[in-house]
Amino acid sequence: MNQLQPKNYLIQSILITLFCCQPFGIVGIVFASQVNSKYSAGDYKGALQASKEAKKWTKWGFLSGIFLGILFLVIYGVIIFFAYENGEFNDF
Amino acid sequence: MTFKKLSIAFLLLGIAVLYLFINPSEVDFLPKCPFYITTGFYCAGCGSQRATHQLLNFNFLGVLQQNVLFVLGLFVLLYHISILGLNSIFKKHYYNYIYHPKTPIILLILIITFWICRNIPYYPFNILAPH
Repeated sequence: MNQLQPKNYLIQSILITLFCCQPFGIVGIVFASQVNSKYSAGDYKGALQASKEAKKWTKWGFLSGIFLGILFLVIYGVIIFFAYENGEFNDF
Repeated sequence: MTFKKLSIAFLLLGIAVLYLFINPSEVDFLPKCPFYITTGFYCAGCGSQRATHQLLNFNFLGVLQQNVLFVLGLFVLLYHISILGLNSIFKKHYYNYIYHPKTPIILLILIITFWICRNIPYYPFNILAPH
């Protein structure tokens, strides 16, 4: 085993699971565990493959977390805008 | 590359200031958990925004009340960063347990157990749910 262990994206997966509320992070953790176990079994190609999968899932988890966050802000902004247009804030 | 790093640093700083002064349980314009909205169940990360607010105000009991695993996430992140830092700055070769075959499995079991337990609406499990 001269080759370096491929990145397992475990940290990124955990952060996405716990801070982005994304179930994708769980999939990332599963692939991270595959990276570690396959590498320690000497299966370098399999570990590299699992690393790519883990990267994919964490990337999509992160992007969809940001997308949903922005979507929420946009929806909230539209609601505020229409409430303002309908004069709901005239009391102030 | 430095511009990218600088902008990420400023963004993180801005988010930290936002969560320092705004309590997410008092306002409703911050993003809600999509899993909670769609299913009505808490996910493993529910309460993290409130926990961030409590942590930045040094209310550690509040952090535990919102999300116990928030502490685990922070610990794992700090561990990884410090090992990487020690190994690259001081040219050490400490073993990083993040790459141990058992670590992800243990963490996965912890997270799934926590996820199930915090959705049981009875004492003592409901302590784990965010307040």
